[in-house]
Amino acid sequence: MYYYIFEAPKTSQERIYFEKIRDFARDFGIAGEITQASPARTPEELTQIGVEKNYTTIIAIGHDAHINRIVSEILNLNSQAPISLGIISTDPESMLYERWGFKHPQDACEMLKYRKLERFNVGMVEPNHFFITSIKIEPKKPTRIILEVDHWQAETVVDRVEISGNLYILLERYLKPGGVVSSTLNWLLGKTEGKVDRSIFKAKLIKISSAEPLPIMIDDQVIARTPVNIYRKLNALNIITKRDRIIRENRKE
Amino acid sequence: MKQQQQVGTIVGSSVHLTGAIKDSSDIQIFGSVEGEVSSDSKVIIEESSYVKGPINAAEVVVSGMVIGTITAKQRLELNPSGTIKGNVDTSDLLIHSGATFIGKSNMPDTKESPVVSEEKEDFKLDEEAEEDEDTEDKD
Repeated sequence: MYYYIFEAPKTSQERIYFEKIRDFARDFGIAGEITQASPARTPEELTQIGVEKNYTTIIAIGHDAHINRIVSEILNLNSQAPISLGIISTDPESMLYERWGFKHPQDACEMLKYRKLERFNVGMVEPNHFFITSIKIEPKKPTRIILEVDHWQAETVVDRVEISGNLYILLERYLKPGGVVSSTLNWLLGKTEGKVDRSIFKAKLIKISSAEPLPIMIDDQVIARTPVNIYRKLNALNIITKRDRIIRENRKE
Repeated sequence: MKQQQQVGTIVGSSVHLTGAIKDSSDIQIFGSVEGEVSSDSKVIIEESSYVKGPINAAEVVVSGMVIGTITAKQRLELNPSGTIKGNVDTSDLLIHSGATFIGKSNMPDTKESPVVSEEKEDFKLDEEAEEDEDTEDKD
């Protein structure tokens, strides 16, 4: 049996989409217990209730922040029975939508029904914040940070840091645009001003430190401050994924 | 963050990195690195960059400054803006006009060894000797 945790719908369109998911789940024979997060019942509490009731398949439906909170709680509960997670992302702008976004709710329920499971790596910010999306550091002004990664150490000034659940690191430094003349020329020519100096690294373990504590965000929620250690937990979570589709060529005989 | 899966490692121009970096994909350096750089694929040292340490890769392209030995199994290209101070070991070396290279280059000998041809000559000589012996016997 499936245990559904819906996010509180933000728009009327989302409400209709959620209702359709419920209907299709019933039609597909994968209906289970349906819950909805609210200020009175957080996604973490609902996850805990689901695990206590011995559900082994939890379906998270909503935006990245909602899904991430459920992921983190599942891994923190460390349940003895292996828990599988189903994801239906409803934010087309989000990272998870690419893999778990569905235009039609029917496709989402089809994925849940066929239960193709894959094990995914998950990032962990000490002491107990897990994430499958990404964490961000966005200081108000360019700030010097020190990164200690595996076998190297780097020092740089950043405007933005993003680290994915697989521990890919993206550092961005917005380079200052030129003087008034070049700015005016760019404006006249319709060119965008300024460049971004990007660095990309892969890591297994990251330590980030800075002179002043910088907030570390997961989906606009501050979860820690620098200095902080970030790890990668390999194959930490079973997640239901889309089936591979076999595309047959249309033959004309 | 979609970009990072296509490229390997990029060291930005504002980054100063110390230690050994390793990647199975390409490594592109715009900043400064003090330590070993190794890739199973390609290492690109851009114009603004500075690398002090050994570089090991299948292919290396240098447009910046490198102080250290370079081992490029397949190919090493030194662009006009590039400087190498150190020995290089590669099977294909291309140095553009204007580049600076201070060091020794070593290339593996992939051509047919002259010893083989000597053996052939020896073989011929042996055959000739045998023929001579035969003629002597006949006499």
